[in-house]
Amino acid sequence: MKGLTYQLKSVLRDKFCLMTFLLPILVAVALNFMGSIDLSSLGELHFGVLENNLPPQTITWLERYGPVTAYGTQEELTAAIKEPSTNVIGVKADADSLKTAISGDELEIFQQAAAALPALYEQRAGTEQAKVLTLERPDILESFQGIFIPAVLIVAMFMGCTFNAMNIISEKEDGVAFINEILPMTPSQYIMQKVVVGFLFGSLSSVVTACICFQLSWQNFGIMLALIGLSSFVAALIGLFIGKLSEGLMIGVVYIKIIMLVFIAVPIVCSLIGVSGPLAIICNIVPSQPAFDGIMALSAGNMGTAIKDIGILIIHCVTWFTLYVLISARRKKRTT
Amino acid sequence: MGKGFCALFKKDCQMLSSGKFFLMAIGFLALYTAYVNLGYIRFMQMPPYNVYLYDPAGTQTEKSSLVQTVPSMEAMDTALLSDANGVGLDASAGEVRVVLYKGAEHVDHHRADYALFLLRPSTGSAPEIVGTNTPEQKARKEITCELLFFELSAVGFLGIAAVLFREKGMGVIRVHAILPLQKNLFLLSKLAVFLLSDLVFAVLLTLLNAGLADGAALLPAVLLQTAILSLIMALLGLLCALLLKDFRQFTLAYLIIAIFAATPVFLSANTSVKFDWIGWHPFYHVYMGLKNAYFGSATSPVYYAGAAAAILVLFLVVQFAFRREIGKEM
Repeated sequence: MKGLTYQLKSVLRDKFCLMTFLLPILVAVALNFMGSIDLSSLGELHFGVLENNLPPQTITWLERYGPVTAYGTQEELTAAIKEPSTNVIGVKADADSLKTAISGDELEIFQQAAAALPALYEQRAGTEQAKVLTLERPDILESFQGIFIPAVLIVAMFMGCTFNAMNIISEKEDGVAFINEILPMTPSQYIMQKVVVGFLFGSLSSVVTACICFQLSWQNFGIMLALIGLSSFVAALIGLFIGKLSEGLMIGVVYIKIIMLVFIAVPIVCSLIGVSGPLAIICNIVPSQPAFDGIMALSAGNMGTAIKDIGILIIHCVTWFTLYVLISARRKKRTT
Repeated sequence: MGKGFCALFKKDCQMLSSGKFFLMAIGFLALYTAYVNLGYIRFMQMPPYNVYLYDPAGTQTEKSSLVQTVPSMEAMDTALLSDANGVGLDASAGEVRVVLYKGAEHVDHHRADYALFLLRPSTGSAPEIVGTNTPEQKARKEITCELLFFELSAVGFLGIAAVLFREKGMGVIRVHAILPLQKNLFLLSKLAVFLLSDLVFAVLLTLLNAGLADGAALLPAVLLQTAILSLIMALLGLLCALLLKDFRQFTLAYLIIAIFAATPVFLSANTSVKFDWIGWHPFYHVYMGLKNAYFGSATSPVYYAGAAAAILVLFLVVQFAFRREIGKEM
């Protein structure tokens, strides 16, 4: 217990470790804030017209579909249409009808909208009378946040790994690792202390992040806690591996970056592509995949999958722990 | 002087290659190329809204081939639930009723009217095309530009600082204080190495991802912008390495630069979400310069003057910090 207090003390003095702990929480707060930014304008149509080219009622009709901006000259209008970050559709009067202009590099949906606009204008009397039944959608941003929130949570869980790796590497650099070898402490005690520190901070960071991002029922919260606990434990163990393998801080940072990239990329790519079959089983080798899958299943209310993922994470915990103990024992045998 | 510069240049190249800087750059080049060609291009597609029609009596005879007929109202509900951007048309009661999930108000109006238009499609005049890029070319140029900016301002910057801190830790600056060489050569050779490696990276990234023919035509403008960004980032890296105590402190500065500086720039430059204050963000202008180079738009001479002034000021500050550091070491 006393050893653990010392470990905690050394971690709390380390600004880098504290920063890694706070980072996912900051991102979670930022994501919640992002939810309040109006991103619905992204899919909206934007129209550009020439000043005094279209009658006011046509402009009012266009404004039903999206914002209309008037430009003074043809060159300004063309430049706005060509501007790659927007999807402005140029609209000009063409006798009784309209003529549209696009850049040609827009997504298909905008090209189609530009092609259909003159015909929509001609049929406007008919369409304005049609009955429209609008159903409530739970959350427009759900699909956008649905993938980001589990990703942030994965990063939070992963923080235990960064914690441990940085902690061990700095111990190596400061020479504390040598002192550890002559301290009256068994390797298993050392492993436990290190794992507990990484695990505690990783879990704490993830729980705070989860509380900010999710509104969960008590039963779901229990499953989420299990997912967080198990993945933080695996991450803390991986941190020990990185600490053991890296010789210097810079190599350690590179290892952490690579592993973090794999941890985030594999589940996101899997969920975007919709991997199934043997490949999906192979992907479970990366511990973040069952964690991500579990969180997604939990937010979709699919308990069975979440419990299956907890099982996979338990297997991960046991395997990584055994592997680490075996490697440490072998190294110990070699040195004595 | 030339000989001294060559010796320093050679030493810096060896330093970078032993610090696995080049290996890391090649690794990231492979990763980016795989991402663009295997992932990004496939995801960046947005087909028009799907329109589902329930018309048991078969009253809608003129409908477009884009309309999908469903056998029952339940089938339409299921289709709409899984495709919330789709639009349902219910023609079972004679008059056509539009059913859709609520989204942004303007988009909803367009979706409804577009669905009704597909029941009586007419070919109006085709839109005039004023640009020269296809959607795929645009996507490729856009992502290549983003990746290049990200690599130079975040990943490459980290590499630069890592190498410089390593050199500082090894006492190279102390050695330079007593070398019979002009002090500026130390900074110039560093800048030259990073500039050269960034230019090679930019050439490879552009040719591999924007396409050979397209990429080659863009190269002169892209290389100019890459040089500006590369010099700014290398000078910032040098400044960090000289002012901050160790690599650990640098990571704090790095996080602020990489995350908080880059995100608003990407949002404002690539989407229609515009912040009013973005004009004050210096990296926004550098990013737009790079983007204009990829899309062949003109960049204002004021920007070039500003960039040159910024590089000059940074160089003077770095020179001052370097001389102070040498003074400290002596």
